[in-house]
Amino acid sequence: MPEITVERLTKRYGETLAVDDLSFVVEAGRVTGFLGPNGSGKSTTMRALLGLIRPTNGRALVQGRPFHELSNPVRTVGASLDASDVHPGRTGRSHLRTLSAAAGLPNSRVDEVLDMTELTPARDRRVKGYSMGMRQRLALAAALLGDPKILMLDEPANGLDPQGMRWLRDILVALAAEGRAVLISSHVLSEVEQTVDSVVVIGAGRLVMQGSLQDLIAGDSRPALVRSPRRDELRDLLEQAGADVTVDGRSDRMLVHRASLEQIGTLAAEHGIPVFELTRALSTLEDRFLELTGESGNVR
Amino acid sequence: MRILRSEWLKLVSVPTTWILLGTMLLVEGLAAGLVTGLADIEELRARNPATLLIGTPLSTVLIFTLGALLATNEYRHGTANQTFLITPRREQVIAAKLAVGLVVGVVAALLYIAVNAGLALSTLSNRGVPVDGDLAVDVYSGVGVGLVLGCIFGVALGALLRNQILTIVIGLVLFLVRGVIALFIGTDVGKYFPGEALLAVQGTPGTKETLLSQVDAGLVLGATCLALAIAGVAVTRYREIT
Repeated sequence: MPEITVERLTKRYGETLAVDDLSFVVEAGRVTGFLGPNGSGKSTTMRALLGLIRPTNGRALVQGRPFHELSNPVRTVGASLDASDVHPGRTGRSHLRTLSAAAGLPNSRVDEVLDMTELTPARDRRVKGYSMGMRQRLALAAALLGDPKILMLDEPANGLDPQGMRWLRDILVALAAEGRAVLISSHVLSEVEQTVDSVVVIGAGRLVMQGSLQDLIAGDSRPALVRSPRRDELRDLLEQAGADVTVDGRSDRMLVHRASLEQIGTLAAEHGIPVFELTRALSTLEDRFLELTGESGNVR
Repeated sequence: MRILRSEWLKLVSVPTTWILLGTMLLVEGLAAGLVTGLADIEELRARNPATLLIGTPLSTVLIFTLGALLATNEYRHGTANQTFLITPRREQVIAAKLAVGLVVGVVAALLYIAVNAGLALSTLSNRGVPVDGDLAVDVYSGVGVGLVLGCIFGVALGALLRNQILTIVIGLVLFLVRGVIALFIGTDVGKYFPGEALLAVQGTPGTKETLLSQVDAGLVLGATCLALAIAGVAVTRYREIT
């Protein structure tokens, strides 16, 4: 049985259709990226899964049951919906203690999750003095309090610096490796592409695709970013081979469309042209989403 | 017990709680000490035991506000998400908040009485102004019950309305314009309003003829709190947390 099952979920707020007949599953032992542009229904879906809002139609189930029917919700699901969901006047430790007390967990567990999230040095500081990255860590610490089998994190990478991103990636991968189901939402593909095993992409509240990250990337038509000291020479060769090339001023960079990384690398090697960088240009999920759907990702 | 402990921790772990309680005691202490220490003795004799009520309206407002924050901080700061994830049976959370509100009200009332009695009674005694013991007990009982119900009223109204500013504004209107409602709609109906009932509960001088008796007013105010609490629980159970 999947850890999370969303079955023909629909949520309507008056005239606004936030989630539209959405179905997907999340399995244990994997990090699943829940991807979609802002306003595409990711948070609404998570709130339905967590029993905070009622579906208009369909079902959102955790371990086959609605959230409110779970016998031990704290041990089953840990969630972070917004890193700002904390009273700024509390210390990080007292915030977690209010939660651990409600869950019947010992104070020692608070210290454990503070250690896990590397917040111990800041545990007695008021949260209003925390950076966004520290608040994200605190939110993750709260989600981990009950040592849950399922983690749901809404935009956990928001506000993290590169070091924090790496830390988040490592801890999420490690948690999934322990057999947990991890569902993380994001509107920026590049934020999660090194973390997730599989993806659920939605737009306008509808499922666009579900599959592995490779499935998503397979159709990737983002341009290649190429840096070469013999840029113009390589550009001519690429254009002769049928690629579209956009040069970047006087720098050694160019963006190459309609050519795979392999084709570009091979062509450069065949002509002995040194290449300093060859990668996919970063793009937002909105770009990828528009490629997939060919329509606006806005909520109707 | 788990949820009670959590709600208690939520209350004592924010500075606002201590600021409100401290302000209440400071204002009450200053008011009681200065009035009984500096006012004309004949005036004090004439106003006795009303002197003991000095500072009561502001204290009630502060304690009501504390109760309102206890309920509405969850929504103001978004902690309702985690609270209801850990305790999906939301009525238990509201019940725990009401229980904590009751305890806070009792503690605040005892502190109020201790400060007022310690300063006002001793100063009046030193200045030779006799205070009828039975009257003092009546006044303190009324003030104490008023503070307790004021706090619970804040929790219940906050649970119902959720919006912090709206809750506090409505509460302040009820407490600060009390008496005005009765003036406009007549005391026959107006005396049952929360503000008027609170005046009567606290034994405010000049209200005996127009408002309910202390006991009846206490029952009316208690029933109002209960009705608000039930409505708050019902609304919270079905409310969507967005």
